[in-house]
Amino acid sequence: MLQSDPAGEPLLRLRGVTKVYEGGAGRVTGLQDVDLEIRSGEFVAVMGPSGSGKSTLMNILGCLDVPTSGVYEIKGAPVAGLSSDELSALRNREIGFVFQVFHLLPRYTALRNVELPLVYAGVPREERGRRALDALREVGLEDRKDHLTNELSGGQKQRVAIARALVNRPSLLLADEPTGNLDTKSGAELMELLAGLNASGATIVLVTHDPAVARCAGRTVYIVDGRIVSAERFREVRG
Amino acid sequence: MTRIDFVAVAVDSLRTNRLRSLLTMLGVVIGVAAVILLVALGQGTKNYVEEQFAGLGSNILIVTPGKVETKGGPPIIGSVRHKLTLADSRILEKKGYLFAGVAPVVFGTAEVRYRNRSRNVSVLGVTPAFPDVRNLHVEIGAFFAEADVDARRRVCVLGRTVKRELFGNANALGQTVKVAGTLFRVIGIMERKGISLGIDIDDLVFLPVRTAQELFDLDSLFEILISVRNHNDIESGKEMAAALLRKAHNRHEDFTITNQAAILSSLFTILDTLTYVLGGIAAISLLVGGIGIMNIMLVTVKERTNEIGIRKAVGARNRDILLQFLLESTALSAFGGVAGILAGMAGARALGWIVPKMPVSVPAWSIVLSFSFSVLTGVFFGVYPAKKAASLNPIEALRYE
Repeated sequence: MLQSDPAGEPLLRLRGVTKVYEGGAGRVTGLQDVDLEIRSGEFVAVMGPSGSGKSTLMNILGCLDVPTSGVYEIKGAPVAGLSSDELSALRNREIGFVFQVFHLLPRYTALRNVELPLVYAGVPREERGRRALDALREVGLEDRKDHLTNELSGGQKQRVAIARALVNRPSLLLADEPTGNLDTKSGAELMELLAGLNASGATIVLVTHDPAVARCAGRTVYIVDGRIVSAERFREVRG
Repeated sequence: MTRIDFVAVAVDSLRTNRLRSLLTMLGVVIGVAAVILLVALGQGTKNYVEEQFAGLGSNILIVTPGKVETKGGPPIIGSVRHKLTLADSRILEKKGYLFAGVAPVVFGTAEVRYRNRSRNVSVLGVTPAFPDVRNLHVEIGAFFAEADVDARRRVCVLGRTVKRELFGNANALGQTVKVAGTLFRVIGIMERKGISLGIDIDDLVFLPVRTAQELFDLDSLFEILISVRNHNDIESGKEMAAALLRKAHNRHEDFTITNQAAILSSLFTILDTLTYVLGGIAAISLLVGGIGIMNIMLVTVKERTNEIGIRKAVGARNRDILLQFLLESTALSAFGGVAGILAGMAGARALGWIVPKMPVSVPAWSIVLSFSFSVLTGVFFGVYPAKKAASLNPIEALRYE
């Protein structure tokens, strides 16, 4: 998980990234001229009010979407121009997602949910089971492997999601409001888990609107109206 | 994603919505069962007819004297109306190289008597070629030989029913019976054959043809049966026989050659067409089943939009999603197809059991065809929903609740 960058190359680099949505209501700018670099091993929080463009930023960082203009590079390789299947392969290899609403498959056991990225990576069956079990062990849910996900508590679900995000050893863990649907205690435990993973080398980008959550990160990026702003400017806007 | 993974996902998904899957399958089950059952009925009818005519042989030409003419005008003076004779038969036998056998037939009715028992039967005067041409076999003793015919010997071969009526269980071979008052020695008993074309073969007495002509005081024949060597040569055989007879009859076409096989084959064509039409009508219900599959697959795709989003987020390519849903619809139709085949075969068996006279037979081609068709239905009607699933935008799919 630990990505070495001998050349000092950042893991992720955005240069003048702009995302414009063409919708029924005309043009909506999601991101405006965003420059951002994230190095391997960093724990970055992205903060912003709703509608600020942090979800758009998440989608672009996660290769679920591509910028309208500007350059986005992962390990120095530009993402622009990749087909949807190439983006899928890139997500499979480089990015692990953790969502606010968990997004686990309800009819599957915890273990099969964790296996899912390996299925699409073409990993053979036995190895898949072994690696998924390792990932579950990492988040402390080894004993829940055969439970259906809807039999698990919110905190457990989110830990299964983290195991799924980690199982294919991605370069980046992208977490979108991971504590948003959790009670305070589970939320705190989850942040502990993320901090621990970061300490052992995982690169984490976490989107939140909760300053307490953001404080766990090593660095916080503020975003308002699709632009990255300074902490001072952010506090000004928030009043 | 390996093949096993795809199958596992499809089966999982079908099991989750068990009732819905079963109801969707039912459309295909009914369609396939209907195809199997209706084709079985059509085929069974054809087999039944075929069986009825089996004794005749498909390569038989029948020559009868006289010509049914619709031409007007007075008869030309000096034209002689020829009968069919043994000479005609011999010419056909000698020069008709397409023929396997030529059997002249004299027909009459007579009283057959053994001691105090008697029976009125049909008597056929024939040559040794007759059993081969009509596909009949002697069970006990032997059929008479060419020498018996030439020497006009008074020997006879009895049909099974005649033997039973006159002799019961006693031995008939070597005994003497009276046919129309003349003594004949029994040299053979025919194998049981049953009724063919309305004639009870078992209730006949066979005499050498010349002997029969003498007995009935005839110099002509009732008919000449010709078996053609090769089934495909039936038409040219007919022309050959006509040409030979015309030559023998001073160019008069005073005979008629019928080919029962031709009539039969047109009957079979009708029955085949009937089978296809019935199968086709049943196939329409299969089509309706396919539309049911498409409908439910569209619902499934909608319901599982979130799942599709998740799968795409963790790295599923469009092709993976497409195959996943395509396999699900195909599995639906294939399981339905298998169930339909079993139901159709059971139905055919039940029908044959309830109505024993109803001829049913399930041909292998109908099983192969209806199964392939049902699988194709699943693929065909699954493509659109699967494409829809594959082309979903992952962000929107994840947002869908």
